[in-house]
Amino acid sequence: MTNALAPSPAFAARRSLLGALRAAIGLDDASAPPMHRPGKDPIAASVAYPDEVPRVDFATPPDRVRWLGKATFGFSTPLDAEFLGLAGGTMDAKWETWLSQQLAPASIPDADCTARIAAAGFSTLGKPLTQLWTDHVRADPPYYTRMLPAAETECATIIRAVYSKRQLYERMVNFWHDHFSVFGFDYDIAPIFVHYDRDVIRPNAFGNFRTMLEQVATSTAMQFYLDNYASRGADFNENYARELIELHTLGVGNYFGPTPPFDVPCLTTTIHCPGSVPAGYVDNDVYEAAAALTGWTIKNGYWQYPNDNDGGFIYRADWHDRRNKIFLGLYIPPNNQPAMADGRAVFDRLVAHPGTAKFIATKMCRRFVGDAPSTALVNAVALDFSNNLTAPDQIGRMLRTILTSTEFKTSWGTGMKRPFETTMAGLRGLAGNFSPRPDNTSAWTLTERFVYQMQLCGHRSFHWNPPNGYPDRQTAWASTGALAMTLKMLSWLPEMRINNDDASAFISDIVAQTASAFPTASARTAGTIMGYWCDRLLGYRPEPTYGVVTNFLQQNATASEVIEIGADSWNANNLKLHYTQQRLRTAVGMILMSSDSFRR
Amino acid sequence: MNAFDRRDFLKTCATGALTAGLVPGARLAFAETNANSYDTIIVVYLRGGCDGLSMIPPISGNDRSDYEAARPTLRIPVTGTGAAFALANSASTSATWGLHPRASRLNTLYQAGKLAVVIGAGMPNPVTRSHFDAQQTMEYGTPGSTGIGSGWLTRHLASAGLPANVTIPAVSAGSITANSLIASTESVTMGNGGDFKLDWSAWQWNHSSRTPNGVPGQVERVADLWAGNSALEAAGRQTLDALAIVRPMNFGAYNATNNPGGYQAANGAVYPTDGFGNQLKMIAQLLKADLGLRVAAIDLGGWDSHNAQGVPTSSYDPYGNLVESLSNGLGAFYQDLNGAGAANFAQRTSIIVVSEFGRRLRMNGSGGTDHGYGNMMMVLGGSVNGGQVYGRQIFAGLAGESLFEGEDVRVTVDFRRVLSEALIRRAANNRLGYVFPGYTGYTPLGIFQGTDLPPDYSASFDRVFASGFETA
Repeated sequence: MTNALAPSPAFAARRSLLGALRAAIGLDDASAPPMHRPGKDPIAASVAYPDEVPRVDFATPPDRVRWLGKATFGFSTPLDAEFLGLAGGTMDAKWETWLSQQLAPASIPDADCTARIAAAGFSTLGKPLTQLWTDHVRADPPYYTRMLPAAETECATIIRAVYSKRQLYERMVNFWHDHFSVFGFDYDIAPIFVHYDRDVIRPNAFGNFRTMLEQVATSTAMQFYLDNYASRGADFNENYARELIELHTLGVGNYFGPTPPFDVPCLTTTIHCPGSVPAGYVDNDVYEAAAALTGWTIKNGYWQYPNDNDGGFIYRADWHDRRNKIFLGLYIPPNNQPAMADGRAVFDRLVAHPGTAKFIATKMCRRFVGDAPSTALVNAVALDFSNNLTAPDQIGRMLRTILTSTEFKTSWGTGMKRPFETTMAGLRGLAGNFSPRPDNTSAWTLTERFVYQMQLCGHRSFHWNPPNGYPDRQTAWASTGALAMTLKMLSWLPEMRINNDDASAFISDIVAQTASAFPTASARTAGTIMGYWCDRLLGYRPEPTYGVVTNFLQQNATASEVIEIGADSWNANNLKLHYTQQRLRTAVGMILMSSDSFRR
Repeated sequence: MNAFDRRDFLKTCATGALTAGLVPGARLAFAETNANSYDTIIVVYLRGGCDGLSMIPPISGNDRSDYEAARPTLRIPVTGTGAAFALANSASTSATWGLHPRASRLNTLYQAGKLAVVIGAGMPNPVTRSHFDAQQTMEYGTPGSTGIGSGWLTRHLASAGLPANVTIPAVSAGSITANSLIASTESVTMGNGGDFKLDWSAWQWNHSSRTPNGVPGQVERVADLWAGNSALEAAGRQTLDALAIVRPMNFGAYNATNNPGGYQAANGAVYPTDGFGNQLKMIAQLLKADLGLRVAAIDLGGWDSHNAQGVPTSSYDPYGNLVESLSNGLGAFYQDLNGAGAANFAQRTSIIVVSEFGRRLRMNGSGGTDHGYGNMMMVLGGSVNGGQVYGRQIFAGLAGESLFEGEDVRVTVDFRRVLSEALIRRAANNRLGYVFPGYTGYTPLGIFQGTDLPPDYSASFDRVFASGFETA
């Protein structure tokens, strides 16, 4: 650092430019440039001029830091130490070892996370579906109790993201909650949401897609969310069938609109698809699928069957539309079929379609590699899907292909972490002590403030209302609203106190951890301290971030001067002594607020 | 949750930043109001596919008979409890039309000639019954394609010939930017104005208004962490610009003692306290502050009524609840803007209500309606030729043979026709070929007051112009 008093060049240049603008229009305040101003392109350059090669000048972390950061909810030094201690002579060899462990999550001891969840005192996470139904639906409890299973799942999800050692597994659980998204805090879904998370999504996260698809289809949550429970006979309800095809399997890219089915080209022949399948689906396929899935419903005490009222799935043959169907070129004969046979034929047909393989593969690649994965990688992963249609570890195999690919290993800055992931990474890096739990008092608790802010970020768990799940692209999350509120969240992490007051313990005591990292006070220069925190939070010391935060902590001290982190008081004439503990926490927050912590 | 940081606000005031006019022409809280010198177009998107045949049902004629036959238990009645409001000037070939009974404030505005209704509206081609496909292509203004990567409002702003400096030309209410404003570098996406500030870090080093001698605090220094040239960092700088503009604003409720600078809706308007009402209030405040607001996008979701949609004759009426939210929200918003003389903001504000598609004429077996095609639109504003149902002369009718595929309302009014008229007559932007590539044959329906301009259908756009010809 040269002159610690001076703002960094970027800041100075910015002020100078804006100051000139302001002066030109007779205003002397330089802090707020108008959104529309001369010389500024009104449309994002990457969209307006797609032929231009994007310039990227950011610093790239070391290999293992990138890999770990992209496969988990965030890099941390304990994770790094574990990784470096693994068998294998090279980073690539260690990565193979780590991946094999992560793909067998049950083999990874997870005592800390398990203990935290136990200590949080959740009351609904262990209840079987029938008990959830009895206690939270049929008992008609107060609103708080009715919604509690969703609220506790949300809290447990945060705890697992931060503390579980089965990080890749938790990332995939998160992926499937987005893919098979339901609005968890829906009045009808919240009481049984524990079942959806625990018994439907989690057991299948690394498993077989076809198995998961049918378990989702028969789950109480999805049955309610997309109305299939009420789809009866010839006047069926199309909601689930459409999203099953558009969002869960083939994807809208394979939608041919209201076209007659025989106008859809076949994948491998122009004759109507003997031995092949139509290239995609039309509205008629939606209607046929809806008909095939009539009678798949929930025992919810419907007036015809008042005694069937335990919240579980049931197939009702008398509600089933028994006529013949033609789905994606497959003829399904009428009548006399075993229960659920034509619905299952629809699932089989969808899962076997190459369009589904590609759709799922693309989404997984986007999640772990970036917004625009290569066709070659997507095809390789899709092949894993298609070649392992019945394998119990089909999804795990796809993941392995992605995470061992050169594209995964070499790419950086090709995607953007979403608010939840950025926030979880911050908590992991800070080694925070945060076990959120719902609360029914009037107190404004730390948990309530935290989830409220996640909601302002636009990314509160299980709060996405439409069935397409949270977006996964930078165009969505680089919105000013989501980004601004995420920056606010990140700036707050070093200030979080367990009782959400001004006096209780920090969830992560930055000053104490700094003192402990540098037991000899003379080692505590701005550069060493911020270097330590960059390593903790980012895994490396990228510029300009490292320089900016060092400069901020340093103020008017010299580069080699000790920063006195023992005091925290006003000193306007000597900024290096002005509220130093607050300044240190602020500087640590700035690392979290840097563009580096959003890249993936 | 502190929607209003009083200490921060007072300190900002004391330093003179606010009273000196933080932003050009801004009258943030204290000053007199004047109607703006430019128009504001607000798009209300009803997400999920609003059932237009419940919002604007046929109330007489053959279409009414077909409607009743198709919806034995899901109809808006014409007499008695829950009867539709009859709309004047609504006679189409085979019907007259009404308004949902829980839209009483919209009915008042229709009677007053401020609300117009369009029937048979939608995307003419290609037909899509996918929510997300339909929303995205419609909001991009490019039916059948999403390749353009920018929203129609984004391109409108870029081609609208804005003055050199506009503080906030566009707002998207929420966390994630509406597709219609995607890729705009000039818009602010914001769900809650009071929360939209970085004020949760340690007090003493948060901001130059709190540090000794105004040295840069965290908020000012964060920009240095987003100085790079990636698209992510460009978005970060846009975000920090937006935060800096919004920070000194007072979005708290007016209180003579505790918050005299807070916002007080005018003309006795009382906003609903739901999310839609709060966001409308936020937009009204930005609009009245004369920050240059040209466009705003706001959502009202929950219209995907496949199941148990409800009817106004029953206490179980989830669809009607949404209609009431829409009606009360827009009613309060219009009232707030509709002052006299210099406070007449309504005169230069147009609100367009649109949804991705309508729902099928025939109800399904679970008391709902599945995805359909043609739909209604509504337009509200002080310069709207309201009190009429537009598109009625060309409406295809609800008889089986006149429906699309025998099931759905046919699209006879291209949604771009309505939007183009707003652009030309209210925003003096005739660059239809740039805003709606491939769209031709525009003629005004006459919904808006204003001057017609010959449409410019050229799709090309001069980059120098797009970047602003004045240099900094």
